[in-house]
Amino acid sequence: MTIDRSRWLPPLVVLVVLAALPLFGSEFFVTFVMTRTFMLGMAAATIVFLSGFGGMTSMAQFLMFGIAGFMIGNLSVSEAGSKGLKLGLDPWLSVVLALVITTVVALILGAVASRTTGIYYLMLTFIFAVIGFFFFGQVTTFSGFGGITGIDPPPVLLDHPIRLYFVALALSFATYFTLRAVIRTPFGLALQGIRDEPVRMAALGWNVPLHRTLAFAMAGFLAGVAGVLNVWWNGQIDPRSISIGPTIDLLIIAVIGGMARLEGAWIGAFVFVAANNYLRSIPLVDRIGITEARFNTVIGALVLLIVIASPDGITGLYDRLRRAWRPIGVDQAANQLALEGNDPSISNDRGEIR
Amino acid sequence: MNNTPKTGLRRALVALVALCLIAAACGSDDDSGEASGSASDSASASASASASASASEPASADDGEASEDGAAAGGDINGDGILQVGIMGECEGPFGGFHEDVVGGASLAFIELAGASSNSSTSALEGFSGATVAGVEIELVGIGCGDDTPDTAIQEIRRLVEQDGSEVILGPLSGDESIAMANFAKDNPDITIINGTAGAQETTLQVQAENYFRFNGDGAQWNAGIGDILHNTAGWETAAVIVDDYSFGWTSAAGFIAEFCAAGGDVVQRVFPPLGTTDYSSFVAQLPDPDEVDGYFWVVGGTGTQASLEAFVNAKGDLNGAQHAGNLFFNPGLAAALGPGIAGAYVGGFASLPGDVTSPAIDAYIAAADGAWESLPGALSGNEPAAPSVALTFGFGYSYYVAGLALIEAMEANGGDISPAGLQASLAGLTLDAPYGQITLDENRQAIVDAAVQQLVLDDNGEVVSRTVAIVPGVDQTFGGVFSPDTPPPSREDPGCVEADLPWVGNAIPVVDGVPQG
Repeated sequence: MTIDRSRWLPPLVVLVVLAALPLFGSEFFVTFVMTRTFMLGMAAATIVFLSGFGGMTSMAQFLMFGIAGFMIGNLSVSEAGSKGLKLGLDPWLSVVLALVITTVVALILGAVASRTTGIYYLMLTFIFAVIGFFFFGQVTTFSGFGGITGIDPPPVLLDHPIRLYFVALALSFATYFTLRAVIRTPFGLALQGIRDEPVRMAALGWNVPLHRTLAFAMAGFLAGVAGVLNVWWNGQIDPRSISIGPTIDLLIIAVIGGMARLEGAWIGAFVFVAANNYLRSIPLVDRIGITEARFNTVIGALVLLIVIASPDGITGLYDRLRRAWRPIGVDQAANQLALEGNDPSISNDRGEIR
Repeated sequence: MNNTPKTGLRRALVALVALCLIAAACGSDDDSGEASGSASDSASASASASASASASEPASADDGEASEDGAAAGGDINGDGILQVGIMGECEGPFGGFHEDVVGGASLAFIELAGASSNSSTSALEGFSGATVAGVEIELVGIGCGDDTPDTAIQEIRRLVEQDGSEVILGPLSGDESIAMANFAKDNPDITIINGTAGAQETTLQVQAENYFRFNGDGAQWNAGIGDILHNTAGWETAAVIVDDYSFGWTSAAGFIAEFCAAGGDVVQRVFPPLGTTDYSSFVAQLPDPDEVDGYFWVVGGTGTQASLEAFVNAKGDLNGAQHAGNLFFNPGLAAALGPGIAGAYVGGFASLPGDVTSPAIDAYIAAADGAWESLPGALSGNEPAAPSVALTFGFGYSYYVAGLALIEAMEANGGDISPAGLQASLAGLTLDAPYGQITLDENRQAIVDAAVQQLVLDDNGEVVSRTVAIVPGVDQTFGGVFSPDTPPPSREDPGCVEADLPWVGNAIPVVDGVPQG
């Protein structure tokens, strides 16, 4: 297989530009808007991965994000007056333990949900999210509704928001390339088969629940990594951080960006974060009733517009425009496959569909 | 067959151009006053032409002007000689209805005492312009929109500081927000935060950020005096408490529990509904029946106060004022929905005294409020237009007014030194003559306040009104040593119910017909 420049060049150019962003972007834009974009993008990418490539629309990804955050808070904070276990462990050890716990929980919850599909899967994972919210709210050993405050990142990142930006950038790209690679492994291809024809895949001998469980656990791990970054960035976490509102926000981010492409998650996150922070700064926008209190209305209208105009989100819109501009005769099937996240060259090379 | 290298290059080019555009568009949001002015929410957009002109003068001109005035312009964070101020309120969540109140309260201080003018005659959210104290211009650069969650509070304060360039923040409104913001203050020592209304004990007693100042009492301080009266006057021996399950609720209940138990009472049941609960029936069911306990103390705020009392009526029968008491959220308005049976209930204090207590300073404050705007749609008038004093004599608006007042007096006291160190030192040493009483700060920059106990009573027209029955002077946050930085912050379990000596038990000043008797 030859190196396909067209596949690797765009992400690399984006990576270079984003790596250089601190040189010309304002501090707020870099350390707030973009860092938050990367964190939410990583979490939303796991929704895109599960939904777009596994047929599992999960509402529990923000729970995984939150579990990792709560675990960091419980394990690494020791200050008097803080809530939780206050174990005061080494921050890096806390990260390892937090991610292990998050992944184990994801494995268990993924196994429970693995035999459901469609709306039932969505509802079951939504129930997980609600249970998680009340668990951390009611069980004061781990948090209570007041949450855990005073969570510091490891010393190397403390008071260095630009470093945290680079960590978030690097982990975002790592997540993107990892998920892209996984999609093309036999496991990923089987997952896509399960997405399209679970009964047929089962009849062919594939263990459908196991694939779903493993995919959910992997997504939980990655959402947990984003959750660790978030709690370092925000310095605190409380149950309302993972309540129904933020849970739905994450799904909205995935929908805005588009469920068909992984990169849509970060684009959706950027639109969401930028709208939240810059919409109110547009001159005269408050004259038409759009103030900071109307943010949810604007995002709701945007989602409505996207669902009507481009069900595949912003990335889907890009694909449509590209198809419209391209000369007649271009291989439509290839585009269709690209829309569905398959790389025709790879799948043709492998041809491993059993 | 599919993607050619040319296509890839085109994609890359598109991505590059898009990112550059985005970065260019957003990269101009630096920390200067200019960006702040444009981002000051409704404030700048709606400012009158003259107000806009004064608010958006080039920084260089301001520098020169400030220097000529002799103000210590060099030391401020932004280096422009102007003090950029942000107000952190809540436009969503359980206390979203108080947004006008709190922004109005903070603005009133600058309108009354710093020569500012309101940008609208019917809404405080449009901001103010033209404020000057000790020769230093004060600019309102942004109004934060919280939703009662610490997450949003941190993100909004970062926006106010990092994008809008705020050097001083007035706020926040609510308990958990304040703990998160005090931790933020610790990490950002140059930013000065003057608490709005938030009343969690932990914010100042445990976190102890050097640059976080609270000129209002915490929830426990506000409830000083009520446990003594309920035990020694109303004769309660046992009580059940139902408490919002978050830091302010715990702190507010802690004040009652500490004093009621110190006086010899016993708290037999504690129930904790989450903040923002809509159906309280399962929590009310956990309370003992009226014949099993002498009384109930309610610490359920915001949108939950009425809903929880209605659930009680449905489950356990009509309200009897002799058997119920509550913190600041118990107000005469509840009688409209629940009937006059609530009359007789004792109510904890808040930042300001009820309307039946007057003084020349209070009258002047009310007149200033009513002169600043034609009307304000505050929470007490159901967010319908009403005289501004309706909103600003209630604790939310008043606490924010005191925060603004503290900033102004601190600047006047140090001759306009707006360097972080100069401003913070001046704030820490301030004795504030506020309309509803003098306020000093303890070593944790926490106010020592006079607390008032009120009672809901029937007036001559048979309507339920609030009446002040006692004032407890000089209540400090430690409650006579019950609370300290080393004791666990108030929570579901803490404080325990123990008999003790509180300095003011039996020493509250009775108030008769609005006149303190001592």
